Amino acid sequence: MLATLNKYRAAFSVGLQSNLVYRVNFAVRGFFSFFHLIVVFILWSSAYAGSPAIGGFSFGQTFTYFVALLVAQFMIGAFNEDYQISEEIRNGLINQFLLKPVNYFAYRFSIYLSARLVTGLLILLPVVATCPLMKDHLVLPLDLWRLALGLPALAMSALIQFGIAYCFGMMSFWFLEIQGLVILSMAIESVLGGQIFPLDLLPDWLFRLSQYLPYYYQMYFPVAIFTGRLNDPAAALAGLGLQACWVVIILAAGQLLWRRGLRLHTAVGG
Amino acid sequence: MGSLGHYARIWLTSARYSIVRTLMFRGDFFVWTLVELFWMTVNLLMISVIYRHTDTVAGWSKYEMMLLVGTSLLIQRFLMGFFWSSIFEMGRNIRSGNFDFFLAQPGNVMFMATTRKLDPDGLINSFVAMGVVAYSARQLGLHPGAADLALYALLVACGVIIHYSMLVLCIAPAFWITSAQGIEGSYFTFSEFSRLPRQAFKGLANVAFVWILPVVLVSNAPASTLLHGFDVRLIGWLLAVTAFWFTLAIVVFHRGLRRYTSASS
Repeated sequence: MLATLNKYRAAFSVGLQSNLVYRVNFAVRGFFSFFHLIVVFILWSSAYAGSPAIGGFSFGQTFTYFVALLVAQFMIGAFNEDYQISEEIRNGLINQFLLKPVNYFAYRFSIYLSARLVTGLLILLPVVATCPLMKDHLVLPLDLWRLALGLPALAMSALIQFGIAYCFGMMSFWFLEIQGLVILSMAIESVLGGQIFPLDLLPDWLFRLSQYLPYYYQMYFPVAIFTGRLNDPAAALAGLGLQACWVVIILAAGQLLWRRGLRLHTAVGG
Repeated sequence: MGSLGHYARIWLTSARYSIVRTLMFRGDFFVWTLVELFWMTVNLLMISVIYRHTDTVAGWSKYEMMLLVGTSLLIQRFLMGFFWSSIFEMGRNIRSGNFDFFLAQPGNVMFMATTRKLDPDGLINSFVAMGVVAYSARQLGLHPGAADLALYALLVACGVIIHYSMLVLCIAPAFWITSAQGIEGSYFTFSEFSRLPRQAFKGLANVAFVWILPVVLVSNAPASTLLHGFDVRLIGWLLAVTAFWFTLAIVVFHRGLRRYTSASS
């Protein structure tokens, strides 16, 4: 057990070092993300000028939602894991894992965790720096149940984020080029994951439908718990159950694709 | 005039090459066309959702906003269709040394490097963007005459030139800092602003994004011309801004080119 943990701890440490090399790039990316927040601020404050509440939420609540979403993206979002996995399959780099007692999923997941540790810490810099400017518009409810349910929700969102990226990476066993599919799915994820607008602003039937899809649990769900868009602990608990189901389904799909894909895979060279 | 014909011939050859290439990878073409279509739908969906809950945003009604977003998408589709692939690859080529290829070609390096590849998927989606503008204009009961449409087209062309210049300026740092991967993304951050109405910008944001960086004006000027008619100050300003940014892009590109050291093997 300890030996197994040590293996992936080593992968985590290597991932950490290689991600630290790109710390400036991540910091720049984090910096530019704040321009997105300026767009959000301008657009939504103009929309709120005509009405004090939209969908039952104040401007502060909506702006807080977008700030939290941005932070969560840097903490748990899958950036380009699908592309990295795809490249490893296409270039035959996965061959080495077929010969070693290393589980490819666990190896990639360790690297994903290390990468998000770096980006998750780096995004805190611009957040802290811009806090004096934003603090008048931030409304963060501080109930204990939000922490108790929000943290596991965030952890499972990370699994869903990575799991979906892993499944897309696996597509490389069948398709030569997956970038188009990935960006297509990103468009769907960004809408149904609540990145373009809070999902609760959708027509009621569509919002309810979205709660049965995995995208809802990718990002919106934990952020809604933390920022007070989801105010019923019982509903949040039920959501956790559904989220756990999606985690199992997505991880199982990843495993299935890996097994099926390996049957098609040809390792060439010596 | 002869030189113009020479460049037109080069461009047509590149265009023909790009189209033949696209026809070879039809599946890819289909997927990328869908990708662009989806992203455009995402933007329109956002407008629809916001206007479910409010009647105006900075004084713009739903269909006025659709017209603005449609115009912004139209400019972006033209940029994607005509220049994006070439300029995006330029950054990578500068880093890898493959940029040598363009130095040996029979024409201006900036022209050769930024117009080499056409993306038919972007161009096809420009018709969708035009459809959004036309639909919004119809909903608003607008009946623009030929002169209005010509002016709109001129302003959209100015917008494409400004976006082109900004994209070149976003990539040009690759001449100085070869490790700066991902700077291309900064362009997209700025292009987000072009979907907002000018009246929403106040104070410092107004100075920065409307007047210093022309990102907001680029889409607002043609949309306002269709909606409210000819405004000589706005159009004069946009033409001046276009000339300024295009000149700046040319100067910075050529400064960078002097720094280009190729890659040793």
